[in-house]
Amino acid sequence: MSKAAHNHKQCLDLFARMSEYLDGELDESLCRSMEGHLSGCPACRVCLAELRRTVQLHHASGNVVAIPESMAARLKELCEQFNKQ
Amino acid sequence: MTETPNPPKIDDPDHDLIVAIQEGSPSLFTDLVQRYGKPLYNFGLKMCGKSDTAEDLVQETFLNAFRYLGSFRRETKFKNWLYRIATSVCIKNRRKSKFAPERELSLEEFLPADEAAVEREVPSWAALPIDQVLDEELKQHLQASILALPEKYRAVLLLRDIEGFSTEEAGQMLNLTPANVKVRLHRARLFLKDRLKGYFENE
Ligand SMILES: [Zn+2]
Repeated sequence: MSKAAHNHKQCLDLFARMSEYLDGELDESLCRSMEGHLSGCPACRVCLAELRRTVQLHHASGNVVAIPESMAARLKELCEQFNKQ
Repeated sequence: MTETPNPPKIDDPDHDLIVAIQEGSPSLFTDLVQRYGKPLYNFGLKMCGKSDTAEDLVQETFLNAFRYLGSFRRETKFKNWLYRIATSVCIKNRRKSKFAPERELSLEEFLPADEAAVEREVPSWAALPIDQVLDEELKQHLQASILALPEKYRAVLLLRDIEGFSTEEAGQMLNLTPANVKVRLHRARLFLKDRLKGYFENE
Protein backbone atom coordinates (compact mmCIF):
# COMPACT_ATOMS: atom_id res chain seq x y z
CA MET A 1 0.00 0.00 0.00
CA SER A 2 1.47 3.31 -0.97
CA LYS A 3 0.81 6.23 1.29
CA ALA A 4 -0.52 8.31 -1.59
CA ALA A 5 -3.10 5.69 -2.48
CA HIS A 6 -4.44 5.68 1.03
CA ASN A 7 -7.19 8.09 1.87
CA HIS A 8 -7.05 8.57 5.64
CA LYS A 9 -10.27 10.58 5.72
CA GLN A 10 -12.06 7.61 4.25
CA CYS A 11 -10.66 5.41 7.05
CA LEU A 12 -12.28 7.63 9.65
CA ASP A 13 -15.62 7.73 7.85
CA LEU A 14 -15.68 3.98 7.48
CA PHE A 15 -14.40 3.40 11.01
CA ALA A 16 -17.62 4.99 12.25
CA ARG A 17 -19.75 2.52 10.28
CA MET A 18 -17.93 -0.77 10.73
CA SER A 19 -20.57 -2.24 13.04
CA GLU A 20 -23.28 -1.47 10.54
CA TYR A 21 -21.17 -3.19 7.91
CA LEU A 22 -20.78 -6.27 10.13
CA ASP A 23 -24.50 -6.32 10.85
CA GLY A 24 -25.44 -6.05 7.18
CA GLU A 25 -27.13 -2.72 7.82
CA LEU A 26 -25.32 -0.59 5.22
CA ASP A 27 -27.01 0.15 1.95
CA GLU A 28 -25.48 -1.29 -1.16
CA SER A 29 -23.44 1.69 -2.27
CA LEU A 30 -21.90 2.24 1.19
CA CYS A 31 -21.24 -1.46 1.41
CA ARG A 32 -19.37 -1.35 -1.89
CA SER A 33 -17.29 1.64 -0.86
CA MET A 34 -16.48 -0.12 2.42
CA GLU A 35 -15.29 -3.19 0.54
CA GLY A 36 -13.36 -1.11 -1.96
CA HIS A 37 -11.57 0.67 0.85
CA LEU A 38 -10.90 -2.53 2.81
CA SER A 39 -9.24 -4.19 -0.16
CA GLY A 40 -6.60 -1.44 -0.21
CA CYS A 41 -6.25 -0.65 3.50
CA PRO A 42 -4.63 -3.26 5.80
CA ALA A 43 -5.19 -1.09 8.87
CA CYS A 44 -8.94 -1.05 8.37
CA ARG A 45 -8.93 -4.77 7.59
CA VAL A 46 -7.22 -5.50 10.90
CA CYS A 47 -9.60 -3.23 12.73
CA LEU A 48 -12.60 -4.91 11.16
CA ALA A 49 -11.28 -8.40 11.92
CA GLU A 50 -10.76 -7.45 15.57
CA LEU A 51 -14.20 -5.92 15.82
CA ARG A 52 -15.83 -8.96 14.24
CA ARG A 53 -13.96 -11.26 16.62
CA THR A 54 -14.98 -9.14 19.61
CA VAL A 55 -18.63 -9.58 18.70
CA GLN A 56 -18.15 -13.32 18.10
CA LEU A 57 -16.39 -13.84 21.42
CA HIS A 58 -19.06 -12.02 23.38
CA HIS A 59 -21.72 -13.94 21.56
CA ALA A 60 -20.01 -17.28 22.22
CA SER A 61 -19.36 -16.55 25.88
CA GLY A 62 -22.91 -15.50 26.68
CA ASN A 63 -23.64 -18.78 28.42
CA VAL A 64 -26.73 -19.09 30.54
CA VAL A 65 -26.27 -19.92 34.21
CA ALA A 66 -28.77 -21.81 36.33
CA ILE A 67 -30.75 -19.69 38.74
CA PRO A 68 -29.56 -19.90 42.36
CA GLU A 69 -31.78 -21.44 45.03
CA SER A 70 -32.64 -18.06 46.50
CA MET A 71 -33.98 -16.95 43.10
CA ALA A 72 -35.93 -20.18 42.66
CA ALA A 73 -37.54 -19.59 46.06
CA ARG A 74 -38.52 -16.04 45.14
CA LEU A 75 -40.02 -17.19 41.82
CA LYS A 76 -42.01 -19.85 43.66
CA GLU A 77 -43.33 -17.21 46.03
CA LEU A 78 -44.27 -14.99 43.11
CA CYS A 79 -46.15 -17.84 41.47
CA GLU A 80 -48.09 -18.54 44.66
CA GLN A 81 -49.02 -14.88 44.75
CA PHE A 82 -50.20 -14.93 41.10
CA ASN A 83 -52.06 -18.17 41.65
CA LYS A 84 -54.25 -16.49 44.25
CA GLN A 85 -55.42 -13.87 41.74
CA MET B 1 -69.49 1.42 13.36
CA THR B 2 -67.09 -1.13 11.98
CA GLU B 3 -64.43 -2.75 14.08
CA THR B 4 -60.98 -1.28 13.71
CA PRO B 5 -58.90 -3.66 11.62
CA ASN B 6 -56.64 -5.99 13.56
CA PRO B 7 -53.07 -4.77 13.96
CA PRO B 8 -50.53 -6.64 11.82
CA LYS B 9 -50.05 -10.11 13.25
CA ILE B 10 -46.92 -10.52 15.30
CA ASP B 11 -45.52 -14.00 15.34
CA ASP B 12 -45.31 -14.40 19.10
CA PRO B 13 -44.77 -17.83 20.70
CA ASP B 14 -46.51 -16.47 23.84
CA HIS B 15 -49.57 -15.20 21.98
CA ASP B 16 -52.10 -17.83 23.08
CA LEU B 17 -50.97 -17.73 26.67
CA ILE B 18 -51.18 -13.94 26.82
CA VAL B 19 -54.67 -13.95 25.34
CA ALA B 20 -55.79 -16.56 27.90
CA ILE B 21 -54.38 -14.50 30.78
CA GLN B 22 -55.92 -11.28 29.49
CA GLU B 23 -59.28 -12.97 28.96
CA GLY B 24 -59.65 -14.12 32.54
CA SER B 25 -57.04 -16.63 33.67
CA PRO B 26 -54.48 -14.50 35.51
CA SER B 27 -53.07 -17.53 37.33
CA LEU B 28 -51.62 -18.70 33.99
CA PHE B 29 -49.12 -15.89 34.44
CA THR B 30 -47.10 -18.44 36.42
CA ASP B 31 -46.29 -20.13 33.08
CA LEU B 32 -44.59 -16.90 32.00
CA VAL B 33 -42.60 -16.86 35.23
CA GLN B 34 -41.42 -20.41 34.50
CA ARG B 35 -40.55 -19.50 30.94
CA TYR B 36 -38.71 -16.24 31.53
CA GLY B 37 -37.34 -16.51 35.06
CA LYS B 38 -34.01 -17.94 34.01
CA PRO B 39 -33.36 -15.78 30.93
CA LEU B 40 -34.33 -12.64 32.84
CA TYR B 41 -32.09 -13.57 35.74
CA ASN B 42 -29.19 -14.03 33.33
CA PHE B 43 -29.94 -10.71 31.67
CA GLY B 44 -30.08 -9.03 35.09
CA LEU B 45 -26.81 -10.59 36.13
CA LYS B 46 -25.04 -9.24 33.06
CA MET B 47 -26.71 -5.89 33.43
CA CYS B 48 -26.05 -5.38 37.18
CA GLY B 49 -23.20 -7.77 37.92
CA LYS B 50 -24.58 -8.86 41.28
CA SER B 51 -26.77 -11.83 42.01
CA ASP B 52 -28.97 -10.16 44.61
CA THR B 53 -29.56 -7.13 42.38
CA ALA B 54 -30.44 -9.45 39.51
CA GLU B 55 -32.95 -11.26 41.73
CA ASP B 56 -34.58 -7.96 42.70
CA LEU B 57 -34.72 -7.03 39.04
CA VAL B 58 -36.47 -10.28 38.08
CA GLN B 59 -39.00 -9.92 40.88
CA GLU B 60 -39.80 -6.29 40.12
CA THR B 61 -40.06 -7.01 36.40
CA PHE B 62 -42.58 -9.81 36.88
CA LEU B 63 -44.62 -7.78 39.36
CA ASN B 64 -44.78 -4.88 36.91
CA ALA B 65 -45.57 -7.16 33.99
CA PHE B 66 -48.39 -8.80 35.95
CA ARG B 67 -49.79 -5.46 36.99
CA TYR B 68 -49.73 -3.95 33.50
CA LEU B 69 -50.43 -6.97 31.31
CA GLY B 70 -54.00 -5.75 30.82
CA SER B 71 -52.67 -2.76 28.91
CA PHE B 72 -50.28 -4.81 26.77
CA ARG B 73 -51.64 -4.41 23.25
CA ARG B 74 -49.69 -7.28 21.65
CA GLU B 75 -48.09 -4.90 19.15
CA THR B 76 -44.71 -6.40 19.97
CA LYS B 77 -43.78 -9.84 21.21
CA PHE B 78 -44.42 -10.36 24.90
CA LYS B 79 -40.74 -11.09 25.39
CA ASN B 80 -39.81 -7.69 23.98
CA TRP B 81 -42.32 -5.98 26.24
CA LEU B 82 -40.95 -7.89 29.24
CA TYR B 83 -37.36 -6.93 28.46
CA ARG B 84 -38.42 -3.35 28.00
CA ILE B 85 -39.78 -3.42 31.54
CA ALA B 86 -36.64 -5.13 32.85
CA THR B 87 -34.37 -2.58 31.20
CA SER B 88 -36.28 0.38 32.57
CA VAL B 89 -36.42 -1.13 36.07
CA CYS B 90 -32.69 -1.63 35.92
CA ILE B 91 -31.92 1.90 34.75
CA LYS B 92 -34.32 3.42 37.27
CA ASN B 93 -32.79 1.49 40.18
CA ARG B 94 -29.34 2.41 39.06
CA ARG B 95 -30.18 6.13 39.06
CA LYS B 96 -31.20 5.81 42.69
CA SER B 97 -27.81 4.42 43.64
CA LYS B 98 -25.04 6.79 44.59
CA PHE B 99 -22.35 5.23 42.49
CA ALA B 100 -23.24 5.78 38.89
CA PRO B 101 -20.18 6.80 36.94
CA GLU B 102 -22.01 7.36 33.68
CA ARG B 103 -19.79 8.68 30.99
CA GLU B 104 -20.06 9.18 27.27
CA LEU B 105 -17.92 7.12 24.94
CA SER B 106 -16.69 9.08 21.94
CA LEU B 107 -15.61 7.62 18.66
CA GLU B 108 -12.32 9.54 18.83
CA GLU B 109 -11.06 7.73 21.90
CA PHE B 110 -11.03 4.48 19.97
CA LEU B 111 -9.03 5.71 17.00
CA PRO B 112 -5.46 4.45 16.81
CA ALA B 113 -3.23 7.08 18.42
CA ASP B 114 -0.90 7.54 15.43
CA GLU B 115 0.17 5.97 12.17
CA ALA B 116 2.88 3.94 13.89
CA ALA B 117 0.33 2.32 16.20
CA VAL B 118 -1.73 1.04 13.29
CA GLU B 119 -1.50 -2.72 12.98
CA ARG B 120 -0.76 -4.40 9.69
CA GLU B 121 -1.63 -7.96 10.53
CA VAL B 122 -4.61 -9.57 12.16
CA PRO B 123 -3.50 -10.75 15.65
CA SER B 124 -3.87 -14.43 16.49
CA TRP B 125 -6.79 -13.87 18.89
CA ALA B 126 -8.79 -12.54 15.96
CA ALA B 127 -7.53 -15.08 13.43
CA LEU B 128 -7.51 -18.48 15.15
CA PRO B 129 -10.68 -20.61 15.38
CA ILE B 130 -12.82 -19.29 18.17
CA ASP B 131 -12.61 -22.40 20.39
CA GLN B 132 -8.83 -22.10 20.44
CA VAL B 133 -9.17 -18.58 21.80
CA LEU B 134 -12.08 -18.71 24.21
CA ASP B 135 -11.25 -20.26 27.59
CA GLU B 136 -12.64 -19.79 31.10
CA GLU B 137 -10.25 -16.99 31.96
CA LEU B 138 -11.22 -15.07 28.84
CA LYS B 139 -14.91 -15.58 29.63
CA GLN B 140 -14.34 -13.94 33.01
CA HIS B 141 -12.57 -11.08 31.31
CA LEU B 142 -15.39 -10.61 28.78
CA GLN B 143 -17.97 -10.54 31.55
CA ALA B 144 -15.98 -7.95 33.50
CA SER B 145 -15.59 -5.83 30.36
CA ILE B 146 -19.34 -5.67 29.85
CA LEU B 147 -19.76 -4.47 33.42
CA ALA B 148 -17.10 -1.81 32.83
CA LEU B 149 -19.22 -0.30 30.05
CA PRO B 150 -21.22 2.79 30.99
CA GLU B 151 -24.77 1.60 31.54
CA LYS B 152 -26.48 3.13 28.53
CA TYR B 153 -23.98 1.40 26.27
CA ARG B 154 -24.18 -1.83 28.26
CA ALA B 155 -27.95 -2.01 27.83
CA VAL B 156 -27.67 -1.66 24.04
CA LEU B 157 -24.83 -4.16 23.80
CA LEU B 158 -26.66 -6.80 25.85
CA LEU B 159 -29.94 -6.42 23.98
CA ARG B 160 -28.26 -6.54 20.56
CA ASP B 161 -25.24 -8.82 20.87
CA ILE B 162 -26.16 -11.11 23.76
CA GLU B 163 -29.96 -11.30 23.65
CA GLY B 164 -30.09 -11.02 19.87
CA PHE B 165 -32.78 -8.36 19.51
CA SER B 166 -32.75 -6.33 16.29
CA THR B 167 -31.77 -2.68 16.06
CA GLU B 168 -35.45 -1.73 15.78
CA GLU B 169 -36.45 -3.87 18.74
CA ALA B 170 -33.67 -2.54 20.98
CA GLY B 171 -34.71 0.98 19.99
CA GLN B 172 -38.30 0.32 21.04
CA MET B 173 -37.15 -1.06 24.39
CA LEU B 174 -34.88 1.85 25.18
CA ASN B 175 -36.88 4.65 23.51
CA LEU B 176 -34.04 5.28 21.10
CA THR B 177 -34.01 5.83 17.36
CA PRO B 178 -32.41 3.05 15.32
CA ALA B 179 -29.60 5.50 14.47
CA ASN B 180 -28.91 6.04 18.17
CA VAL B 181 -28.93 2.31 18.84
CA LYS B 182 -26.32 1.86 16.11
CA VAL B 183 -24.10 4.63 17.44
CA ARG B 184 -24.17 3.25 20.98
CA LEU B 185 -23.67 -0.32 19.87
CA HIS B 186 -20.65 0.58 17.77
CA ARG B 187 -18.99 2.51 20.60
CA ALA B 188 -19.72 -0.29 23.04
CA ARG B 189 -18.12 -2.84 20.70
CA LEU B 190 -15.08 -0.59 20.18
CA PHE B 191 -14.73 -0.27 23.95
CA LEU B 192 -14.85 -4.07 24.31
CA LYS B 193 -12.43 -4.51 21.43
CA ASP B 194 -9.88 -2.26 23.12
CA ARG B 195 -10.28 -4.21 26.37
CA LEU B 196 -9.70 -7.45 24.49
CA LYS B 197 -6.60 -6.09 22.82
CA GLY B 198 -5.30 -5.00 26.20
CA TYR B 199 -5.98 -8.47 27.58
CA PHE B 200 -4.06 -10.24 24.82
CA GLU B 201 -1.25 -7.74 24.56
CA ASN B 202 -0.47 -7.88 28.27
CA GLU B 203 -0.53 -11.66 28.47
ZN1 LIG C 1 -8.53 2.46 6.07
